Amino acid sequence: MRFSENGLYVERYTKCATCGALIYHQEKQQLLTCDGVIYCSQWCIDWKKAREARRSKPQNTTMSLSSQE
Amino acid sequence: MDVVTVNILDSTMVSICREMGIVLMKTAYSTIFSEALDFTCGLANLNGDMLAVADYCPSQIGGMPLLVKSCLREIPTWEIEEGDIILHNDPYRGGLHTPEHTFFKPIFMDRELMGFAVAIGHIQEVGGMVPGGFCGEATEIFHEGIRVPPVKIKKGGKDNVEVWKLLLANVRTPRANYGDLRALIAAVDLGESRTLQVIKKYGKSVFSEASRDLLDYSERRMRAELEAIPDGIYGFRDYIESDGVDEDRTYVIEVEVHKFGSEIVIDYSGSSTQAKGPINGTLGVATSAAYNAVLHMTDPSIPRNSGCFRPIRVLAPPGTIVNVDYPGPEVGGNTETHPRIVGTILGAMANAVPNRTMAAEGGTHSNFVFGGVDAETGDFFICYDIAGVGWGGRAFADGNDAVDSINGNCRPTPIEVFETRFPWRVEYLAFDIDSGGAGEFRGGVGYTKQMICLNDEVICSQMTDRHVFAPWGLHGGRTGGLGATLVLKAGTKEWQNMREAYGKKSTSRYSNVRIRKGDRLRLVSPGGGGYGDPGNRQRELIANDIKQGYVSLKGAEKEYGYREA
Amino acid sequence: MLNIVGIDIGGTFTDFVLYFHESGKTEFWKEPTTPDDPIEAVIAGLKRVHDLSLAGKIRLGTTIATNALLTRRGAKVGYITTQGFRDIPFIQRGDRRSHYDISWIKAKPFVERRYCYEIRERLSAKGELIVPLDEAEVRALARRIKGESIEAVAICFLFSYINPQHELRTREIIAEEIPGIPISISYEVLAKWKEYERASTTIADAFLRPVITHHFKRVQERFSAAGIGDRIGIIRSNGGEATLASAAATPVQLTLSGPTGAVVATRALARLTGLTHFVTFDMGGTSTDCSTVVDGREHVTTAFEIEWGIPIQIPMIDIHTIGAGGGSIAWIDKGGMLRVGPHSAGAEPGPACYGRGGREPTVTDANVALGRINPKYFLGGRMQLDKDAAFMAIARVAKTLNMSVDETALAVVQIANNNMLGALRAVLLQRGFDPRDFTLVAAGGAGPVHTCDLMRLASIPCSLVPTSPAQFSAFGFIMTDARVDKHRTVPQTSKLFNGERASQAMTGLVDSAISELKAQGYTENIEVYRSLEARYLGQNHELELSFPANDFNHDTVRNLWHRFHEEHTNRFGFCIPGETIETVTLKVVAVSVLKKPIVRELPSQIGIAEPREQRQIRFEEGWIEVPVYDRDIFGRGCRITGPAVIEENASCTVVSADRCVTVDSFGNLIISA
Repeated sequence: MRFSENGLYVERYTKCATCGALIYHQEKQQLLTCDGVIYCSQWCIDWKKAREARRSKPQNTTMSLSSQE
Repeated sequence: MDVVTVNILDSTMVSICREMGIVLMKTAYSTIFSEALDFTCGLANLNGDMLAVADYCPSQIGGMPLLVKSCLREIPTWEIEEGDIILHNDPYRGGLHTPEHTFFKPIFMDRELMGFAVAIGHIQEVGGMVPGGFCGEATEIFHEGIRVPPVKIKKGGKDNVEVWKLLLANVRTPRANYGDLRALIAAVDLGESRTLQVIKKYGKSVFSEASRDLLDYSERRMRAELEAIPDGIYGFRDYIESDGVDEDRTYVIEVEVHKFGSEIVIDYSGSSTQAKGPINGTLGVATSAAYNAVLHMTDPSIPRNSGCFRPIRVLAPPGTIVNVDYPGPEVGGNTETHPRIVGTILGAMANAVPNRTMAAEGGTHSNFVFGGVDAETGDFFICYDIAGVGWGGRAFADGNDAVDSINGNCRPTPIEVFETRFPWRVEYLAFDIDSGGAGEFRGGVGYTKQMICLNDEVICSQMTDRHVFAPWGLHGGRTGGLGATLVLKAGTKEWQNMREAYGKKSTSRYSNVRIRKGDRLRLVSPGGGGYGDPGNRQRELIANDIKQGYVSLKGAEKEYGYREA
Repeated sequence: MLNIVGIDIGGTFTDFVLYFHESGKTEFWKEPTTPDDPIEAVIAGLKRVHDLSLAGKIRLGTTIATNALLTRRGAKVGYITTQGFRDIPFIQRGDRRSHYDISWIKAKPFVERRYCYEIRERLSAKGELIVPLDEAEVRALARRIKGESIEAVAICFLFSYINPQHELRTREIIAEEIPGIPISISYEVLAKWKEYERASTTIADAFLRPVITHHFKRVQERFSAAGIGDRIGIIRSNGGEATLASAAATPVQLTLSGPTGAVVATRALARLTGLTHFVTFDMGGTSTDCSTVVDGREHVTTAFEIEWGIPIQIPMIDIHTIGAGGGSIAWIDKGGMLRVGPHSAGAEPGPACYGRGGREPTVTDANVALGRINPKYFLGGRMQLDKDAAFMAIARVAKTLNMSVDETALAVVQIANNNMLGALRAVLLQRGFDPRDFTLVAAGGAGPVHTCDLMRLASIPCSLVPTSPAQFSAFGFIMTDARVDKHRTVPQTSKLFNGERASQAMTGLVDSAISELKAQGYTENIEVYRSLEARYLGQNHELELSFPANDFNHDTVRNLWHRFHEEHTNRFGFCIPGETIETVTLKVVAVSVLKKPIVRELPSQIGIAEPREQRQIRFEEGWIEVPVYDRDIFGRGCRITGPAVIEENASCTVVSADRCVTVDSFGNLIISA
């Protein structure tokens, strides 16, 4: 989340691409980027990579669907 | 710290939170506080970790830690002084939705900050497009009422008059809002003074140490509970029928629950991109719903504080229906999307923890809001009216009938209070036969409220769900009954839904419908899904359902293949 | 003036108190309760009275209604309501008992859904006629009810608290069609708004009606056979006496009878001692009751639930009960935390020290292990406690905690005290009272053991241990008055206040309360207390304000608004000047003040009280050798400094080192700093 220079309003809400947590620029919170996307932590980068790998191989999740399917 | 002190401190703090809630309930103006108890009171430590909370509204219980922490990142503790009270409702900064107002007050002992007394409450009028906050057709946050970043409503014990003026100029019922805000302040004042007495008694270091140990204790208990759940990745999805704006789009809530060892990750990444209309959840909602589901799956006797939440990680990608980006609308996220998320997580875990999950409950609070000018007094009135739903069937029992949905614990307003306050006459309030989904254990039934308008005009809006996708059953159980909202305009003979009657995009979410004198409204709340194969239901139970009028003979024949002996 | 017997039927024992008016003496005794037919124990106990014909008045606290509701053994009820609303008792209030508990099963009302019936009729929120009562339909329904062999009928129409005409007429018609069938109507049960609460209470009243009628008939027969049939008074939930016939006519008013005795006894103490603010702490084996007497008056509430979600909305002495007492069991939870209760060892097998096979450590065991309770002098020495068994039970828990036995026992007592503290907070702080203004009345067998601990924890400066604390409730019954409570909801606002309407309603309430008293034969010393419940317009919970007269004139009304703002500040810390105030319910209490026993004064203490022995007792600061006194030897003005233990027939008082005890003129132990 980046505030205007006068501190009175928010210019941009920045969020981690994996967990969705706000990232506070004014705290000089370290921004991690990977392939041009912003993350809050290495954990979130690793999770996303692992998820993509898992989803490329089907049947790894016991996905049951609600009765609308 | 010794376990005895920790135990005693825990129950003392919970009783302080309960006392705060009693003051709030007794002094607040909105029926959503005083009858429905749509608020929560808690105590937090210096970091914003929740130390104790009273059992009021679950959506706010799970939302409290993120709320206080978010505020503290903008107003750091060194800028907080004795006698300050901070107010906040911004959905994009840890909030739940615009009506949910968070108040917190620092607790200073000998000039040292020890923690905070926190009260979160639903204020029914927040300005914006419709009276009563729930605008079913909002497309941006600015339609949904006034947005308040963390500001001090009191400074050093004195009202910050400018903030009051700004707030009260932006709502339709300043008199009632003033009363509600005063009530919230009275609650945190009480929380502060009571907690100070406790700190005085034990000393600052014992208090801090014991509260740290209390968080660790809850974490330990939670981890032990999670250990006992079989490891695995569990998935489930459910649907939201519309957003009130986009006519043709349905929305997916998809969860993947990763349970390994004593930790749990709840990943919503398969869910739909955010909606144009106001059904989006905020990060606060996504987090609170995950906590709510996990607390349902674990031992309810664990002291509820931030320690419980340490083993839980929530992944809510931005720009989705579970984590709305600015300036997307969000008022329905906290009431409708929240229970849908909880149900989806419980659905995913149905085989892993069979005794702590259930088939889908109705999963809506009805959220019918209306306002108008009272013909007798000339005052503007507003009401936020809620309804109960049927619970889903369970592995061991039928679903309960007519209970508030899982993210609230709210009591609908009694008819005699409702009619005394507002210009409607209720014509009936009755269970809907056959609305409990069939199953070995039947879903609970929903009910219908029908009423006739007595004022020249009442402006109505609604944010409900389950008009299209019925609550699902589990393990062969059937779906529960659908909800509905119907209108019979004076002088006509046909009941119509909101699309037919007023050209609205959705039947379940709409804004500013002008109901006139003599028009009738019918609000139908959904039943719960069934659990297990209906063929396995005991014959005596079916016979009793027929005798007591929960299932019709025809319904019994169709759903259960029942023949009268 | 007559001799009076007070009888309190408890779970384990039935307590008796006999007051001889000539000598001013009181006698106390106990009889084991006969749960199957409680009246057996009553008759057995009365046989101990030398000459029953000398007993001028017998007052009975009864558990019959409470038990019938708790065990759900009552009438098959038919429920009649406004068309469209027969599901109100099932929909209830819509909240859950507790969060996060998927195993919860919603409570059922005292009526089956198939016996709930609707009648065409409707009143507006102001009581105006919208749909007239369909009398033919009522008559047809009556015949149907007859065919279903319904045993009692409950009638609750919407807005009947303002206009009871339809309820009254429906009752008339049903009575014509089914002569003799018991009927309860909501207007008479309690004319207060909120349809679910009123319906639930009315249904409970009908549910109890045949049971109570039958039971009282037997009581009447048994007492008449003993020649005392005309002298029975029954204690109602408001703590007042009623005749058998009147009590049977409003059975739901008996829901909480016995426990009110301790509060009435405390009110009597207030008169005797001149102290104004008391909080009662009545700690028994399985439960503890707390309540207040402020300015000499008890607090009456209508917010009570017989089980979660099933309200019984009648005027009831506001007693906060928690399921914790001497029998509460100590255990280790899954996280390694020591907990006490909510499970109790009950009367059977009872605490480990009873030696009846109980193995779980209880609060009583902890007190024995700490030397507070004398194992050789329990129930005045009639029961021997097994100290080793207590010790061993505690030791098992201590081992898991890796603590010593006495540290563990002390921890058990501390946690139990903290649970009790919760109950005291509920009746003091949560109602806006400052504990420092109060005197703690320690009653029940276990109350005096814990009273010094609680004084310290709750910041209550003074405690009073009455004579025979274990029979305190029965003692209350010999001190009670006849009493009728009447409530009626008449909503109005300060903006458009109609004084005439309010005066009319108040006059009506006062008249009906007085005539109800008189009809029972209570004609003497009638006192009337008026009050009303009010709030800021928009709020939904009320503050109660006393009101001086039937008449709402300019001055009394202006004063009323003024006092409301004041009271709001006292209670909640703020007021909203200039705000509109809404008055909701008018309340009237009519009391026929009955002649009270004169409690005999104790002779003066001569010399210094000598301890019977010295004993080691564990306090927080460690083991201390303390003197042990027999309470019997104390005279008026006797003074003892702590630490000490004072033993008597069915209880013992533990005095900590920072306290001293004075014996007042009536034998009460006054503990203060």
